[in-house]
Amino acid sequence: MKAAILTDLTKCVGCEACALACKEINDLPRDSANHMLTAYTWSAMEHRNGVNIRRQCMHCEEPACASACPVGALSKTPEGAVVYDGSKCIGCRYCMIACPFGIPKYQWDKPIPLIQKCIFCYEKALKAGEQPACTAACPTGATIFGERQALIAEAQQRISSTPEKYQPHIFGLKEAGGTSVLYTSAVPFAELGFPANLIEESYPNLTWKVLNKIPGIVTTGTAFLAGLWWIVNRRIKLQEKPDETL
Amino acid sequence: MKLKLPKPSFWLITLAVIWAAGIISVVYRFYNGLGAATNLSDQFPWGIWIGFDILIGVALAAGGFAVCATIYIFNLKEYRPIGRPTVLTAFLGYVLVIVALLVDLGKPYNVWHVITMWNHHSVMFEVGWCVMLYTTVLFLEFLPAFFERFRMVFWQDLFHRILIPLVIAGVILSTLHQSSLGSLYLIVPTKLHPIWYSGMLPVFFFISALAGGLAMVIFESYLSARAFGKGIEHRLLAQISRVIAVVLMIYLVLRLQNMVERGAFKHVFDGSSEGIFFLIEIILGYITPMMLFFNARIRESKAGLFFGAVLTLFGLVMNRLNVAITGMARSAGVEYLPSWMEVAVTLSVIAAGLFIFRLAAKYLPVFPREEKTGVHQPPLIEAGRSGKLAMGLLAGLLILVLAGFGYSLAVTRPNQSADAPQAAQAIAAESLEFPAPIEFVQSEESPGQVIFNHESHVDTSAPNCKNCHAGLFSIRASKAGAAAQTRAVGHDQCGTCHNGEKAFNYEESCDGCHMSSE
Ligand code: SF4
Ligand code: SF4
Repeated sequence: MKAAILTDLTKCVGCEACALACKEINDLPRDSANHMLTAYTWSAMEHRNGVNIRRQCMHCEEPACASACPVGALSKTPEGAVVYDGSKCIGCRYCMIACPFGIPKYQWDKPIPLIQKCIFCYEKALKAGEQPACTAACPTGATIFGERQALIAEAQQRISSTPEKYQPHIFGLKEAGGTSVLYTSAVPFAELGFPANLIEESYPNLTWKVLNKIPGIVTTGTAFLAGLWWIVNRRIKLQEKPDETL
Repeated sequence: MKLKLPKPSFWLITLAVIWAAGIISVVYRFYNGLGAATNLSDQFPWGIWIGFDILIGVALAAGGFAVCATIYIFNLKEYRPIGRPTVLTAFLGYVLVIVALLVDLGKPYNVWHVITMWNHHSVMFEVGWCVMLYTTVLFLEFLPAFFERFRMVFWQDLFHRILIPLVIAGVILSTLHQSSLGSLYLIVPTKLHPIWYSGMLPVFFFISALAGGLAMVIFESYLSARAFGKGIEHRLLAQISRVIAVVLMIYLVLRLQNMVERGAFKHVFDGSSEGIFFLIEIILGYITPMMLFFNARIRESKAGLFFGAVLTLFGLVMNRLNVAITGMARSAGVEYLPSWMEVAVTLSVIAAGLFIFRLAAKYLPVFPREEKTGVHQPPLIEAGRSGKLAMGLLAGLLILVLAGFGYSLAVTRPNQSADAPQAAQAIAAESLEFPAPIEFVQSEESPGQVIFNHESHVDTSAPNCKNCHAGLFSIRASKAGAAAQTRAVGHDQCGTCHNGEKAFNYEESCDGCHMSSE
């Protein structure tokens, strides 16, 4: 199963149940503000242009963060969650740079900080086939859990049955190569602070295209340099002792 | 030679102040975290420790491999005199990069994970390996200077034999590393400003590092000659400057052509600060030194060479800072100016580099012996008027760059869209799906069972779960239904609102909640 979350912004009443449930299950401090993502708020509720916007990690199909991490601290599980292993992390923050959605956050206040972000309740729920705390808590069905294809079909069905209510756009269907968290909305996503210029190619592929050339560069480069040295050297030696064959 | 305690000259005091500030900053960072010591944030996670110390430190070391290849592979022996100074520069550059990296990393004690936990899809992984391996190679390449100094003939011989493989490894690693720093930014096509983002970034980083690394040879040789009469023949330096000019030309052609292809020029002249910064970078840091170095008369003069080298270095610094900071600012949507602690650490690192270089130049056979011209001038940068001029110039440039960044960030601050919480969308109350009624378990002395209904507790016109769920009641247990919630819920919790003010007082009316069993 490819787990996914569909958040329908037209149905969200902004009650913050998802954000609170997230804090509860992850033992995050509940006093900190919920309106933006931080190391201590993994599921945020932002009110912008009259819309309540639930923010969380998109759990990309091909996560830029996981490909960027030098030590594999971030990874995509077969179930679809992008999880984090703090014991591996070296704290380079390349994941923060790489993520096109600006999701991973850092514990700036700690001497020994960790990266923090939504992990789809992987250990506590998803692994056992259960839904994450946020979708379980939502009282309006604005954010729901399901199988990715099924949720895409659901979103398409909602859009086509009431086109006057929706933008004809499922955010996350193609963005950054597709994500496990999908959104539908009545207001264009660009007006809601969703990145508007995302490419549809997989982000990891952008660097992989170059990285996979390294073995070639190393072998041909070494051969080339060694050959060059040999030729140059031979010519010099021949000049010095022309009668000797080398 | 008599050992003299150095006079507390102006430079010495400056050095002491810088290092003191640097050490304080490092201690502070490890006690209070990166957030307290730096101006980094979730929006701007990489600052000058990456943009300056690492990107530029590595680039300046690029002279090392180019010169080694020239001397040993192409067998151009006349360049031998510049071999050691460049290798030393490169080695010091890398050591200092590592120092800066360890301060910047969140968990520096985990840095060895790069060796055991492979993610070969990560550019950072490649960068890590290149740093480790190339630093080792540079160290080995510089070792012969020690052997020579201490007359260890056996070792000298041994190293002579492995020199060629070492040099080849160095060239390959350095090529990979220079370009990989550019590759780091390939994954941010939508964050890095289009003036700088290009699929060719790795190539651009490599070529510009080459020019910068060679300019560093001229720069150092000039300062060393000033400081203690050890330097490199002018003729060689002039030849290097010609090479730099060609490298810069190749760079400019590729880069500008690439920008035309991507249609990036429209951003240059749109009046944005990015455009201005790009023009400063390209005109002052690339086109000007190229033209200077193509001019034979300028190549003849020491001052001309030095000035051209400084401009080349300026172009490199500008380019890296533009990629790491100017180009990332707009998408980040926040201002970033380094804190004084970030600046202090950076300056300490630079000062340490200069200091060690000076020590090595003085006590090890770094510069060729025969170049020694007469008097040994004592302390470091008592370098005569033009030396001071040069330092002043550099300081000026640095200030200019920093001031410029301040300006750029002030200008690029994006217009924040109004983010005032507005009335929640009008959503029909019937769309709310409340949890099932929660039936509390009765205790012995309870006058009747309590059954909690969400319907009577939620204002359906503006539902707000956090009134009660922010800590008072578990939202997850409540959603799951009765049983789990019944533990630990008592008068205290319900009484937060049932206090006679927000709702009726529980002490006054038991049967408001406790339904008698009949
Ligand atoms: S949204 Fe960002 S943090 Fe989440 S999986 Fe994608 S790249 Fe990683
Ligand atoms: S900060 Fe940690 S999780 Fe992020 S890329 Fe670096 S090592 Fe990986």
